[in-house]
Amino acid sequence: MKKKILVANRGEIAIRLIRAIQELDYEAIAVYETPDEMSRHIRIADEAVLLGDGPRCDYLNIDKIIRAAIKSGACAIHPGYGFLAENPFFAKACEAAGLIFIGPGSEIIYNLGNKVVARQIMADAGIPMVPGTENLQQGQEGINTALAFGEKYGYPIMLKATSGGGGRGIRRIENDAEMVKQIPVARAEALAAFNDDSVYLEKVVIDPKHVEVQILADSFGKTLHLGTRDCSIQRRNQKLIEIAPSMIKNAKLLDEICETAVKAAKAANYLNAGTVEFLIDRDGSYYFMEINTRVQVEHTVTEMITGIDIVRNQINIAFCKPLSFSQKDVQVRGHAIEVRINAEDPKNDFMPEGGKKVSVYRSTGGFGVRLDGFVYQGYIIPEVYDSLLVKLTVHGFTWEETVGRLKRCLKNFAIRGPKTTIPFYENIANEKDFLSGNFDTSYIETHPHIFHYDEDASEVGKLARFIAELQYQRENPFAK
Amino acid sequence: MTRIVQGTPVKEIVGQLRQAKGYYITNTARDLSQSDFKNRILLHTDLLAAPSREAANYFSLEITGGASIHVDILRKQVDPFLKLRKLREKMPDTMFQTLCRGINLFGYRPYPQNVIRATVREFAKYVDVWRTFDFLNYVPNMIAVFEEVERAGKLNEPCLCFSTGPEHTNDFYLAKAAEIIAVTGEDITLCIKNHGGLGTPVRIGQLVDALKQKYPDVIVHYHGHNTDGNDVGRIVEAVRNGATIVDAADAAFTGFYGPPPILTVVQTLREFGIEPACLNEDAVIETSDVIREERQHYAQFESQIKGFQPTVQIHKLPGGAMGSSLEQASKGGFLDRVSAILHKELPRVQKELGNYWSVTPGSQILWTTAVSNVLDGERYGNPSGDLRNLLLGKYGPFPFYQPEEWIYEKVLGENWREVLKEEGGLEKSADIDLGHERYALAEAIGSEPTDEQLILYLQHPNDAVDYFKFEEKYGQVYVLPPSVFFRQGGFAPGEKIAFRDCHGKEHMIEIGPSPITDTGETSVYETVDHHQVIYTFKAKAVQGVAGSDATLSKEEILDLAQAGDVRSPFSGNIVEITVEEGQEVMVGDRVAIMEAMKMQTPILAEMAGIVTGIIAKKGDALKPGSKILKIDKN
Repeated sequence: MKKKILVANRGEIAIRLIRAIQELDYEAIAVYETPDEMSRHIRIADEAVLLGDGPRCDYLNIDKIIRAAIKSGACAIHPGYGFLAENPFFAKACEAAGLIFIGPGSEIIYNLGNKVVARQIMADAGIPMVPGTENLQQGQEGINTALAFGEKYGYPIMLKATSGGGGRGIRRIENDAEMVKQIPVARAEALAAFNDDSVYLEKVVIDPKHVEVQILADSFGKTLHLGTRDCSIQRRNQKLIEIAPSMIKNAKLLDEICETAVKAAKAANYLNAGTVEFLIDRDGSYYFMEINTRVQVEHTVTEMITGIDIVRNQINIAFCKPLSFSQKDVQVRGHAIEVRINAEDPKNDFMPEGGKKVSVYRSTGGFGVRLDGFVYQGYIIPEVYDSLLVKLTVHGFTWEETVGRLKRCLKNFAIRGPKTTIPFYENIANEKDFLSGNFDTSYIETHPHIFHYDEDASEVGKLARFIAELQYQRENPFAK
Repeated sequence: MTRIVQGTPVKEIVGQLRQAKGYYITNTARDLSQSDFKNRILLHTDLLAAPSREAANYFSLEITGGASIHVDILRKQVDPFLKLRKLREKMPDTMFQTLCRGINLFGYRPYPQNVIRATVREFAKYVDVWRTFDFLNYVPNMIAVFEEVERAGKLNEPCLCFSTGPEHTNDFYLAKAAEIIAVTGEDITLCIKNHGGLGTPVRIGQLVDALKQKYPDVIVHYHGHNTDGNDVGRIVEAVRNGATIVDAADAAFTGFYGPPPILTVVQTLREFGIEPACLNEDAVIETSDVIREERQHYAQFESQIKGFQPTVQIHKLPGGAMGSSLEQASKGGFLDRVSAILHKELPRVQKELGNYWSVTPGSQILWTTAVSNVLDGERYGNPSGDLRNLLLGKYGPFPFYQPEEWIYEKVLGENWREVLKEEGGLEKSADIDLGHERYALAEAIGSEPTDEQLILYLQHPNDAVDYFKFEEKYGQVYVLPPSVFFRQGGFAPGEKIAFRDCHGKEHMIEIGPSPITDTGETSVYETVDHHQVIYTFKAKAVQGVAGSDATLSKEEILDLAQAGDVRSPFSGNIVEITVEEGQEVMVGDRVAIMEAMKMQTPILAEMAGIVTGIIAKKGDALKPGSKILKIDKN
């Protein structure tokens, strides 16, 4: 009987995982909540298990998922990203139930998930880090520590919740007075949101580039990197566009960063696929940020430029197989860009467009184009999940070729019903700083004109809408 | 003789006219459109006619003004300024003419002086000849326009509105002409504005003769309507007695209430040995050949009553108001009473109200009063606000005599003498703050308006904003022919619509099927330049169905919020209500947090006050427009 792997996720990443599982000739078990019953990941999987009515709570329910795995005869669980992917208790529960958790062990997840522990591990290994504090002491003592830190490194300073992440629980402090005022507020919020009121400080690196390194580590002591990715184009710390490799011209610096990433992973006894994130300052100094212990949304760009299937290797590593290649076999070829096509209205502060029906879905294709999506024409986007519809990843031999391919694909992509981020990306793909590879984390706010577009921008599009109106009304309602 | 081209200085234009042998023709396309097609003739048709109209060597083309500015934006969705620019591209030499209602501009009520001046300045960039009138022939009402036209270096054509009756003597009109010339000087063209097509040819001949006797250097331009079928006769007598310019229109579109056909005028005057100055008759014929086919698509806008109306001499309604008045009678279901209104009541009202000139906005006052008198049973029992203003003298003084006291009493009430004393006199609308208006417009359309947009907004604020929004959504629809724009009954599947957009790009839209889904939505399929596009329309609203909770629009939600009725702006769940009943809130305070697709959005108070009722609770799933809480003013 074929081995079965349960996919504890939904949407595009569930499909991505199912594909790798089936390519390895295993069977994929999907799970779903009721609002997802029209989702395509259920149809593609070999089996599907209804977890409950959700929304979200069942995808987050460790017991239900473990039970579904045992009941369906799965021997392993792949968590994807989000939901339970970086929850050490989930990994631990898998281990306890005799299931293989596809990812690093629960202890690694716990250590790297706790910012302060992670910083300590990296500091011990000599990995460069943004100057910061440990967890601030409670009360006035903590405030005094904070003010001393402010004096030493200068403002602005980030005040972070130790258990926060993904852009949540972070606030920027500009002066002493604010520091005094904000620490108790941040604690209260952190307690409410994460059930942990610990906070710490970090110096702010102004308008850095966000560069990360993909790591693969097997259980035989081999730790490799798959090169860099640039994720600088972000909105409120949420990534929108990812590029591989980084556009930094200094090859020596990039090599150094990759080696540092491997060193960091080794310091953490890392296992399976992970991502080491760095901030690159304008002067070329770089700082460790964190290690993400999951497969990331943007793993596709690395796969495109290296030809290495990260998810396939994740499964093999979890099944105690050695990595079949060495560092020198990892060759970066060309450039890749991934854009997240979301059902959001960028003009309306990226307000989600959930609840709408995809009335037209015409995707693109051709050489060097990869799509990781799950929606189809007629699909009604649930309001209760995230708004990612499809990831478009393009690969080209040169940067120019890659951007040209991106533009062509965005133009050919037709999604009607919900508003999407496509026209917004089209503007970026035509923007000169982007074209010249010159962008950092301030890109979106320093280029406000990329928000200027019209969904029906073409004159003929508007007139076609007018004619449709006449056809619907059977007369010209405006001429009456 | 050379033609007068656009851009010629006023002095030279007038000089050339004084030297003219024969007469010039103004092609009155706008008045034709207004009188016989409810102003609906599209720019598309005027652009088709443009090359041959340009070649015809008219004195001018009357193509803007009157009610057309309003109808352009309201019913044809074309920018009146863009229209003039597009025509200018194809007609570089032809002078464009407008019809301006003096203090009432292109509308129906007096505008503030600074609005009048700004409007004239903006339009004068495109308009060469300014025909200006006042329905009471009250010269002060026209002075602002005269001054701005002169300042812009354009030609003033002041009007003597013409009518008939014992008071309408040559002496009266000569005195009016003197009053006008005292303001403008003699470098003008003076219009005899015979909007009703009143009087006999002999009467018109006498008036022109009297004017030319007294002012041999003043150019007379005769404007008439063919409502009784005899305007050619009046034109002939006008020209024989010294008029230099006359109005006529393209035969292919002539009807009953507008100007007569150009060639009929030419052929008739030829009998008397009078030739038109540099008219290209072949081009006149060609124009009608080019646009003849288009007329069928305007049939729905032609008058409900067809045929000449010799009785106009009794009711005196102007040609420009015939179509709309009869449409009103048709829609109001009183076509059978029209004869009684036109032939009995209207002449009576006209006399009672001072026998002034039945033209906008005065003609509307007469018509509305007559209709109300007949339909409501009690004469002057239901006076309109405009009639009240007329009696109060807001538009200007009565030219001949005042209505009898009983009418004042009916309209203004028993204490009418006091009302007249307190409220009477010319409407003096103070200048408005144009900066403030510009800001209001920017708010309404979401971008900095152009000067032209501001001018249109000042004329008709709501309709202009609607038009700007229409244009943003549907583009420049003037490129579509009347066969598409005015299509009734929809398009046949497979029908192909080819057009060139406003940028000159050619497109082809093929109509596909329009199925209705099981939820009642209509999907309209089109193939647009070889790409399939689908437009989905909501099920047509069924009225009176209980429980159908229509979701509110963004604007409605904001309006309610500003009144203290806080609604959900999108579909999502309540994460938290962050205020308590009885709590005081300021504008911008967070009152709730909502979440949709994992994103949290604060809901802010749009009005300061006290929270008086919390309707939604944590965890509730809301639709756009669902109630969250109420804020009451302190």
